[in-house]
Amino acid sequence: MKRTGIFVCHCGINIAGTVDVKKVAKELSKHKGVVHAEDYVYVCSDPGQNIIINAIKEKKLDSVVVACCSPTLHETTFRNTSKSAGLNAFQCEIANIREQCSWVHKDMEKATDKAIRITKSTVQRVRRNESLEPISVPVTRKAMVIGGGIAGIQSALDLANTGFEVILVERAPSIGGHMIQLSETFPTLDCSQCILTPKMVEVSKHPKIKLMTYSEVQDISGYVGNFKVKILKKPTYVDPDKCTLCDECTKVCPVVVPNEFDLGLTGRRAIYIPFPQAIPATFTLDIKSCPGLLPIACGKCADVCEPDAIDYDMKPEIVEEEVGAIIVATGYDLYEKELLTEYGYGKYPDVLDGLQFERLLSASGPTMGKILRPSDHKVPKEVVFIQCAGSRDPELHCAYCSKICCMYTAKHAMLYKHHVHDGQAYVFYIDIRSGGKDYEEFVQRAVENDGVLYLRGKVSKIFEDNGKIKVWGVDTLTGKDIEIDADMVVLATATRPSKGADELAKKLKIAMDKDGFLAEAHPKLRPVESVTSGMFLAGAAQAPKDIPEAVAQASGAAAKAISILSQDRLYHAPTVAKVNINLCTGCGMCVQVCPYDALSLKDGKAEVNEVLCEGCGTCSATCLRAAIQVKNMTPLQVNEMIKASLGG
Amino acid sequence: MVNLEELKKEASQILKEGKVKYIIGLQSSSNGLLPVPAFIKNPEDVEKLVWNPACVYNLTLFLRDEKRRKAKEKEPDEKPVGIIVKGCDSRAINVLLQEEFIKRDDVYILGISCENTGVLDEKKLAKKLKGKKAEKVEFGEKDDFVITTEDGKIKIAAQEVLSERCLECKAHFPVIYDVLIGEKTKRNIENPFKSLERIESLPPEERWKFWKEQIDKCIRCYACRSVCPMCYCDECVVDTISFVVTPDTPAEEKAQKIKWLEKSPVSSENFVYHFVRAIHLTGRCIDCGECERVCPLDIPIRFLNKKLEKEAKELFDYEAGFDPDQPSLVSSFKDEDPEDFIR
Ligand SMILES: Cc1cc2nc3c(=O)[nH]c(=O)nc-3n(C[C@H](O)[C@H](O)[C@H](O)COP(=O)(O)OP(=O)(O)OC[C@H]3O[C@@H](n4cnc5c(N)ncnc54)[C@H](O)[C@@H]3O)c2cc1C
Ligand code: SF4
Ligand code: SF4
Ligand code: SF4
Ligand code: SF4
Repeated sequence: MKRTGIFVCHCGINIAGTVDVKKVAKELSKHKGVVHAEDYVYVCSDPGQNIIINAIKEKKLDSVVVACCSPTLHETTFRNTSKSAGLNAFQCEIANIREQCSWVHKDMEKATDKAIRITKSTVQRVRRNESLEPISVPVTRKAMVIGGGIAGIQSALDLANTGFEVILVERAPSIGGHMIQLSETFPTLDCSQCILTPKMVEVSKHPKIKLMTYSEVQDISGYVGNFKVKILKKPTYVDPDKCTLCDECTKVCPVVVPNEFDLGLTGRRAIYIPFPQAIPATFTLDIKSCPGLLPIACGKCADVCEPDAIDYDMKPEIVEEEVGAIIVATGYDLYEKELLTEYGYGKYPDVLDGLQFERLLSASGPTMGKILRPSDHKVPKEVVFIQCAGSRDPELHCAYCSKICCMYTAKHAMLYKHHVHDGQAYVFYIDIRSGGKDYEEFVQRAVENDGVLYLRGKVSKIFEDNGKIKVWGVDTLTGKDIEIDADMVVLATATRPSKGADELAKKLKIAMDKDGFLAEAHPKLRPVESVTSGMFLAGAAQAPKDIPEAVAQASGAAAKAISILSQDRLYHAPTVAKVNINLCTGCGMCVQVCPYDALSLKDGKAEVNEVLCEGCGTCSATCLRAAIQVKNMTPLQVNEMIKASLGG
Repeated sequence: MVNLEELKKEASQILKEGKVKYIIGLQSSSNGLLPVPAFIKNPEDVEKLVWNPACVYNLTLFLRDEKRRKAKEKEPDEKPVGIIVKGCDSRAINVLLQEEFIKRDDVYILGISCENTGVLDEKKLAKKLKGKKAEKVEFGEKDDFVITTEDGKIKIAAQEVLSERCLECKAHFPVIYDVLIGEKTKRNIENPFKSLERIESLPPEERWKFWKEQIDKCIRCYACRSVCPMCYCDECVVDTISFVVTPDTPAEEKAQKIKWLEKSPVSSENFVYHFVRAIHLTGRCIDCGECERVCPLDIPIRFLNKKLEKEAKELFDYEAGFDPDQPSLVSSFKDEDPEDFIR
């Protein structure tokens, strides 16, 4: 029989307000095998922990149960406390009588009874706990960052500048993400490209960064500290070392397709450079729009390429890498045109989305920074901006707030006025969300200095009439119907997780939230970690974000990754699954069901990779023969816990 | 009608060619209508093989013994065993393959199509014959059985004496085989879960009463488990005795053994046994109906498995034993599954 000590925490009135903690301690003191039971106001405090240490020593306890808050909070604390008194850390278990009891009940008598049962059942469990030692594994001191927008760039630079090697994987031909498409950035109006390109250059020159553009993660296995990744490098058909950026190829390429960088406002050739400052600075042959690589099909570009940089025989390549930590920074995309038909988006050429307008504003854009409308290249004199296009509309579109649109719409309206002094900008809004340093002041400047007319209300109809875009709406503040003959409409369309983020999340086994953004491990306390250890999140892939937030999270994610990479070995909980070879028939059901790929069949029997196993117990619940069980949470323990909970 | 001579010819040939170690089939018995298993090694002995509507057995059961025997041999003969299977039995082979209990090379499958009939239900036949003793049953020319009694031969439409599972069968010819004997005729079965309606239509109290009565009868002889090709576990979780003792069980493990249920055949323990077995067979039972046939107390065990088979079909579009490569029911999750509580 074990000698168990019980410590019941009041947690101030958090527990003691609903649970009679003295009674819990008294009842438990009568329980078989319990040689010490006491309550204390805050067991997690220093004096509280000392009570445990003293009891372990004086009463020669060999196991400890702390009845307190959720094990996610203080399990580590109390295990360390027990360890410091000479106990094996895994002889300490938590009975959660706060989240699972006092916080969810009102009736003191019943809650106390429940707390007693919970604690008793934990005693039954700890009685059969084995003493275990953490499993230690070495660490591959290298990181991978997926996505080369500002977030990914920042993470990669932080990691590399700390001295760790980084592989930066970007699926587009150049890094830069959406920020490179922006004109000027709120709230300071500095030129987006001017502040981003130095970082891009730094990435390309950094000896610790291996940049892999036009590449995608194909497969991933392993675990924190020791991931194995396969990266597919798509052929660009241009040798970046030979390409001199002479631009001769685009002059002969017969194909014209919409230019992604300008969101279709301009065209590009099948062989192209996304934008002049692209990193890596090289041309890319887009095989999807090229009529074929056979010289018979076309072959013009290779003919004119003086340095012989074009190689039609280039093949896709799979690069295998080992890394210790991964940062996912796959960013966002705008809500698809097809899904947002009500504003004439995609139908009328002068109804634009925010990024298209950024391109019009940009000095390097299709109009060289002049505001001209696409249909007839005239200067629009009346421009209507519509906020929340697709956001905050749970019935038809996205329920969430895209967060950045209030600010960039104010910026758009302001910049429009800077370009077209005699023009009028109208903004339809639901409300203005300008929380952030200098953000509110920025919006006020748009209203006061630039005379932007903010109309609170929704647009009911948009249609083309005689070269104008008629916008009908209501101003809910005055109750008046509004009719504007606009020359141009700009929609602040919702932002969404970037295309393919769901597939990537599946490959990485990281969770997504209900809207498809990558889910953080805890909304408050672990905002940059994914649920899978060793994988971190940065930027707009996790939730809509502006640049400062994306950069802050990127640095946070890098710091988290560094906290892994800077260690020699990592320690892993030893409460892992164990196979009873005699009972296992090798049916493989557990192998299929394990969410962490921790199981395999070897010589007709299941085998656990203890480093991958998270001790979730799914295998144990699946096995028909009770041949696999998780240490310190065996079916026998569960069985006895259930009995104790039922009062047996 | 399936040609027995063709079966014999194939059997003799594979034995002669040395393709198989032996063949698991059926031979007639000196005692009663039902045949008994035959393990045939010599080509001459194929003459003993029989095939008739009384061939109710699911012979795949013997693959378990073969596997155990082989595991004990020092230098096992790696040749496959030949096995004669009906459609339903062949599904069991698929499940055994799926669970990697056997490998495809372990068996040479002589599949026999049930064509338009199936196997008989002895009880139905006895009723039909009103006390007269059947000496022999054979397949008739059409969808009928020819029964020999002391009064001579009579013909009975197969439908009238077919076993319930044949009336609800989803595999009228083998779904996996090396040689197929007979035609791939498909019978039209409107509702493969028809027999369940009788119990499903009862209000819950009545249903409980029904099952309590039935389960209370169980004497826990475990015949149902012994005859089940899926109950191949070395140690069944319900056997609390064998579960504990092996000489090399480490003490630490011994301490972890649980007595899941008591041995005494009382209501609560019987329920636990039958529930455990039903759950263990969900997505694995191929409805050969053998458990119910062998029960000395006529407990309709098949219904339990059938009900879960229906749930698996309706909720997860899952059917056991048609695809040896599909993941098992309990370990697979499809995005299209109707439940939206897990994402
Ligand atoms: C119209 C508009 C105006 C804006 N103006 C401002 C402003 O003035 N100030 C401000 O602070 N913010 C502004 N923003 C917000 C700003 O664009 C974002 O905060 C920022 O771009 C987020 O950076 P990111 O790196 O997280 O994502 P992104 O910029 O989207 O970068 C993600 C990168 O990951 C790559 N990627 C995606 N999936 C994969 C994959 N599977 N594998 C490999 N690579 C992948 C993409 O190709 C891309 O390069 C504006 C946004 C819009 C829409
Ligand atoms: S589920 Fe059980 S019997 Fe099957 S392989 Fe896993 S441990 Fe072995
Ligand atoms: S406990 Fe969970 S993680 Fe570990 S082997 Fe079993 S299913 Fe996999
Ligand atoms: S159901 Fe029938 S065959 Fe099975 S154990 Fe009970 S009595 Fe025996
Ligand atoms: S009841 Fe379950 S554990 Fe027992 S033999 Fe059958 S499948 Fe195996």
